Amino acid sequence: MQTTSELLAQALWGLGGVLAFLFVFLISNKAIRELRERRAAALRRELEPKILAYVNGQGNHLGPILGPLGHFESSVVEEILLDNARFLKGAARSRITSACEDLGFVRARISQLRHPRWWKRAEAAEKLATMKSPKAAPELIALMRDEMPDVRMRAARALGQLDTRTSIKPLIDALQDPSRWSSLRIADILAGMGPSAADELSESFNTLPIKARVAAVDCLGRAKSVRAGGLLLRLLSDPDRDIRARAAHSLGLIGDPNFTPDLLKALKDPEWPVRAMTAKALGKLARPEAVRPLAEALRDKEWWVRINAAEGLKSMGEEGLAALIDALSSEDRYARHAAVATLEGAGVLDRFVEQLASADEKERETALLFIRKIIAAERTDSLTQSASRHAQEKVRELLSRALKPSEVKP
Amino acid sequence: MTLLAIDWHYLLLRSVVTFNEFVIYYFLTLNTVYLILFIISLFEVVRFVRRTFFSDYQQILKSEMTWPISILVPAFNEERGIVDTLRSLLQLNYGEFEIVVINDGSTDGTLEQLIKAFDLRKTDRVYRRTLPTAKVRGIYASLEVTNLIVVDKEKGGKSDALNTGINISRYPLFCSVDADSVIEENALLRVVKPFMEHPEEMVAVGGIVRIINGCEVRDGRVIRIGLPRRALPVFQVVEYLRAFLSGRIGWSVMRSLLIISGAFGLYKKSDVVAVGGYDSFTDTEDLELVVKLHEHLKRQKTRYRIVFVPDPVCWTEVPEKFKTLLMQRNRWHRGMLQSFRRHWRMLFNPRYGVIGTLALPYFLLFEMLGPFVEVLGYLSVIAAYFLGILNREFFLLFMLVAIFYGVFLSIAAVLLEEISFRRYPGWEDLARLIWYSIWENIGFRQLLALFKVKAFFDFIGRRRRWGEMGHKGFRDEGSGRPPTTPKRQQAA
Repeated sequence: MQTTSELLAQALWGLGGVLAFLFVFLISNKAIRELRERRAAALRRELEPKILAYVNGQGNHLGPILGPLGHFESSVVEEILLDNARFLKGAARSRITSACEDLGFVRARISQLRHPRWWKRAEAAEKLATMKSPKAAPELIALMRDEMPDVRMRAARALGQLDTRTSIKPLIDALQDPSRWSSLRIADILAGMGPSAADELSESFNTLPIKARVAAVDCLGRAKSVRAGGLLLRLLSDPDRDIRARAAHSLGLIGDPNFTPDLLKALKDPEWPVRAMTAKALGKLARPEAVRPLAEALRDKEWWVRINAAEGLKSMGEEGLAALIDALSSEDRYARHAAVATLEGAGVLDRFVEQLASADEKERETALLFIRKIIAAERTDSLTQSASRHAQEKVRELLSRALKPSEVKP
Repeated sequence: MTLLAIDWHYLLLRSVVTFNEFVIYYFLTLNTVYLILFIISLFEVVRFVRRTFFSDYQQILKSEMTWPISILVPAFNEERGIVDTLRSLLQLNYGEFEIVVINDGSTDGTLEQLIKAFDLRKTDRVYRRTLPTAKVRGIYASLEVTNLIVVDKEKGGKSDALNTGINISRYPLFCSVDADSVIEENALLRVVKPFMEHPEEMVAVGGIVRIINGCEVRDGRVIRIGLPRRALPVFQVVEYLRAFLSGRIGWSVMRSLLIISGAFGLYKKSDVVAVGGYDSFTDTEDLELVVKLHEHLKRQKTRYRIVFVPDPVCWTEVPEKFKTLLMQRNRWHRGMLQSFRRHWRMLFNPRYGVIGTLALPYFLLFEMLGPFVEVLGYLSVIAAYFLGILNREFFLLFMLVAIFYGVFLSIAAVLLEEISFRRYPGWEDLARLIWYSIWENIGFRQLLALFKVKAFFDFIGRRRRWGEMGHKGFRDEGSGRPPTTPKRQQAA
């Protein structure tokens, strides 16, 4: 036991030492950080007015205005410039890019792109994205082959910010990135670059692997490129169901009414995700010839197709709503339920309930006819509430009477 | 007769000595495991902080490819705070989301408050009843707040309420949130990121739960972070930091996270539906769901991830009274035992990978048996004293090493917090955290061990109750309203 006690005593000393170290580290870490932050804040207060004056057009170069800068001062100046660059546009924004080039920040960050630590490379790419200097483009393109997904992502973002023709091609290649998150983000970046990126994407489409194609189809839709319509229409008969579904969705986003006939064919696709996306797209196009097929899609065996068809009809105005009212008498229970829910959401049910208070008997009859259809569709929660809570006694009475089982005439 | 007496004495003597030796080895093993977990967590926190320095959250917010989320809020007798909670949730910084409140047979005015505040109307919403639940009495929606749905149902318990929410929700991901918690504005953006990075594999993501006692809350938002004034909740702050920052992070890295707090977790709906949703047989439906997901997905030989991310914050209130704390911990421990009993086949089973061979054995040996070893350890010291075999020097040294080691682990967790998230920025807060990290190991931890031992006997005796939580009401910190009356938590 004596030996164990000695061991314990040593362990106690060891632990005491570790605890003392932790304690000192905690305190000194916090103290150093706070001192640094205070110094940076003081320097910022001093330098920011001069920098903002330059950004707003005073002087040609920032360097002479600020005078010689040490390492710490340089980092504070860079931070101020980048903070302002995030919300400035136009000439002021260009002056920030010039200042970053003149003061050597762009050069320093370009050389940091080769740093052995990945987060340093990512940090450099992130800052170059905000600096928006075209000088960084070749190095950023090279960085798209970095082993770390986070670094590739920052490089892609920076290239997207540069928005030059040379940066589009590497971004399209990067759609093949094995990281799903990276390819999604790159798709976002490309979509934000507009029609020029969409054209390039349409041209390269056939060279892309399947996963990248799905992202590319999304990009084309979100870039709202009408010129990509032909390619997307062809993709409605692609062997891959995801591509067909995304193509239908993208056609809806572009919104050209000429797409309607092809989309109506796609509404009969054997795969339900394609039908669901097509129903949504047809709703966006809002063409009258789509009303009947969408009303039929209310009886689809897949819940998402029914819901999207109902939402599509709702967005088609009076014609669509009329089709939904017709669907209340459908033999298909799910079609009836989808129709009731959508009509409620569109405020149609409320409109007819209010109409019960009308002085015109014909209007009241029309309203009652509609309400009986709702009751026959076996979805009466909203009506039951109105029957007990509506402000007008007459409406409450009419609704209560209609809701009595004997009144229901399917 | 004399011989028999000597044998008994010897037997007792040997037992005490052997048990004391066992305690030493047990202590060594346990602390080695804690140390390994801490080292793994340290590396992971540093890596995480470096990654989140380049935040993608604005991109996640703006991207059309971001997954929409259904937030499920089960509510039972929450009339005092439910409207504030919803107003706070509606302000969340996220693209597309819906809030589904499930009024689980409240006997107070929860539903009426909601109807009044959001001008709710009963609707005929169509939904698919994929999980069996108690009867839904009505679904309410608001024309003004279009992403809010309130479901009124018969009482069925929290699990049943969550299953109802799953049935009614529209989106592929759902986030379970306690009605008395506060979710930080950007928490959804942070918690969804792992799903964006690994959409095929990600099944569930848990965020960190922090303690709201002592913070100033206004309009359902934490506007000033501070430590509670009373000692008991500060002990829990230290305990939560240790559990989340150096416990869950470590298990998450080893892909064997067993708990995602029910107060705030994001799940892929299809996987949860595949395992039958939440279970009502347990007192901790959150733990049970995660263990069930592991079991199911391992059996299916699916590549999957269940992870913990330390920066999406959910603020929640902790007990300020010993009695309430006892009831809360009793329930947690009973829940763990119930899940163990159900999934015992996974234990030491290599088919379940690290979960079966490391995580579950850890929980069995240290979380379940640990309190017994600790309490029996103290009893054996007393026995050794009366038998005259207590080596006082050894005992004192051992106790000091145990306490120092506990202090080390607690201060290490404070250090992790200080180098990463720094939610408690003041010097006074840091000093208090260090102070309570020391004192937490003298009294509080021993008390928790006793609570767990009691929970074990309650489990054996099949006693189940949630009890009175006695919430003080964090919303009163800033609003100046009177404290909420104690509410009875949901009976399972």
